[in-house]
Amino acid sequence: MNAITSVVKLHLNRRVVALLVPLFIVAVVVVISILISLLFLRGGSVPGSTVWVNASRSNTGMLFSLAGFLVSMGVASAATTFPFALALGATRRAFTLGTLAWNILQAAYLTVVFAVLTLLELATGHWFAGFYIFDITILGAGDLAKLIPIVFLSVLALLSVGGAFGASWVRFGARGPQVIAAVAAILIIVGLIIALPSASVLIANFALWWLAVAGVVLVVIAMVGIWLPLRTATVR
Amino acid sequence: MTAAIDIRAVTRTYGHATALDNVSFRVPEGSICGLFGSNGAGKTTVMSIIAGHDRPSSGEALVLGDTPFEHEVTGQRISFIRDNQRYPDNYQLKHVLRIAPEFAPDWSAEVAAELVEGFRIPAKTPIKKFSRGQLSAVAIVLGLASRAPVTLFDEPYLGLDVGARTLFYDVLLRDYGRHPRTILLSTHLIDESESLFDRVVILNAGRVAVDCDRDEARELAVVISGAADAVGRLTAGRTVLQTRAIGSLSSVTVTGIADEALLADARRAGVQVESASLQQLVAAYGATAGNAAEHTDHQSTRTTQQKEAAAA
Repeated sequence: MNAITSVVKLHLNRRVVALLVPLFIVAVVVVISILISLLFLRGGSVPGSTVWVNASRSNTGMLFSLAGFLVSMGVASAATTFPFALALGATRRAFTLGTLAWNILQAAYLTVVFAVLTLLELATGHWFAGFYIFDITILGAGDLAKLIPIVFLSVLALLSVGGAFGASWVRFGARGPQVIAAVAAILIIVGLIIALPSASVLIANFALWWLAVAGVVLVVIAMVGIWLPLRTATVR
Repeated sequence: MTAAIDIRAVTRTYGHATALDNVSFRVPEGSICGLFGSNGAGKTTVMSIIAGHDRPSSGEALVLGDTPFEHEVTGQRISFIRDNQRYPDNYQLKHVLRIAPEFAPDWSAEVAAELVEGFRIPAKTPIKKFSRGQLSAVAIVLGLASRAPVTLFDEPYLGLDVGARTLFYDVLLRDYGRHPRTILLSTHLIDESESLFDRVVILNAGRVAVDCDRDEARELAVVISGAADAVGRLTAGRTVLQTRAIGSLSSVTVTGIADEALLADARRAGVQVESASLQQLVAAYGATAGNAAEHTDHQSTRTTQQKEAAAA
């Protein structure tokens, strides 16, 4: 347990990157979202109107702007932190479990940040001006019961997938991420080929918990994808 | 004496390349052992296996009585910073000094502070922008301040100037005296560091060429220098490790000691005979890379001699 805690502290060691950079990215997206809203305002849209609300809530920038950062953070956790963790005396098992624990903490941290900002947005009548930044469809449209699992699982999945890419790079070099990307693309396309004829049925019966299950499965696969390459990786 | 490091018939292959070939040696607890060999001899590979960063293809490596690979307790008792150690992105010195004690129960903040000041390691510069010498300095800080029971140094002073190397020797010996530990150190600056070592292991092309006490190593080979034809007569029938020739002069390193018979023959032939220094010995074995059978024969001979001496 101590070794796992030490690995968590190792990830937390870069505090600015771990804690402040996500906030900085969120702040930039807030500014850009407000500017876009002002653009629509100048174009004649009316804040609070149905069109305004629907258009504002379809903005996915907040989630996807963080996605790249989180994946890169996951990659770095394996690609550069792992060799140093090994040098300090961590085992591969402790590193993998510590990284999972760190990813969970990071996901919980960002979930709290998003939940607090969403509550603030709702409490201030969308920042006193009808700006929809966190109260958006992809984050549950202001419903915390949806926002919390969406943000938590998304962050956890993105960090873990990044970690799997990083681990494959440590183990197999440049071929590792290439093979993972190719296999993932093939699986997605094959899945679509199978599912497409039943698309109307699937859409009609779609439930949010499907995404939650998919997120958990993705996290499990990604963590296995971190463990398996690192288990036999030689740091040279 | 108990062996802190016990390498038993370890072979490590990477695809078709053999990095270590049936390597066996022991490092007694509390000793400082020099690990020598030319580039590619297998020094870093064997250190990786000792540190648990890698596994042997066959054979066994024991550190403090346990197999180090994925052994948490043993891992915490080993320090091994590579000469090309990778650090997490955006790391500065403060990040290293903040996290290292978390993994090293015996960490000495005083030793770390003394070395950081002595080496003048930049505090604000990202480690990825450090010079070769500064990277070596960080590795030395981690290695010495950890006070790990088994400390491995792989080319610890690449890029360090003579003043910095002296600081390393001084702090190493002083702290080792106060907190004895087992140290395995690889270096190419053999003459300079020779006095540090209790034992020496020379690897050549992935095999152990020499494994003995430091003083014994001075009796393993002689250098015979003089007119080429006279040197040729004296070295006939001996195991030649290295031959260097300049014009009509040659200098040949052969196994064995400078006994009375050899010295008498040398005097008559007008050639010079001297015991090979450790550096000359390492260079000579490096020059024989590829002649593995010869090394095995020599190792067997020396081991037999040691056994006979011990029995006597």
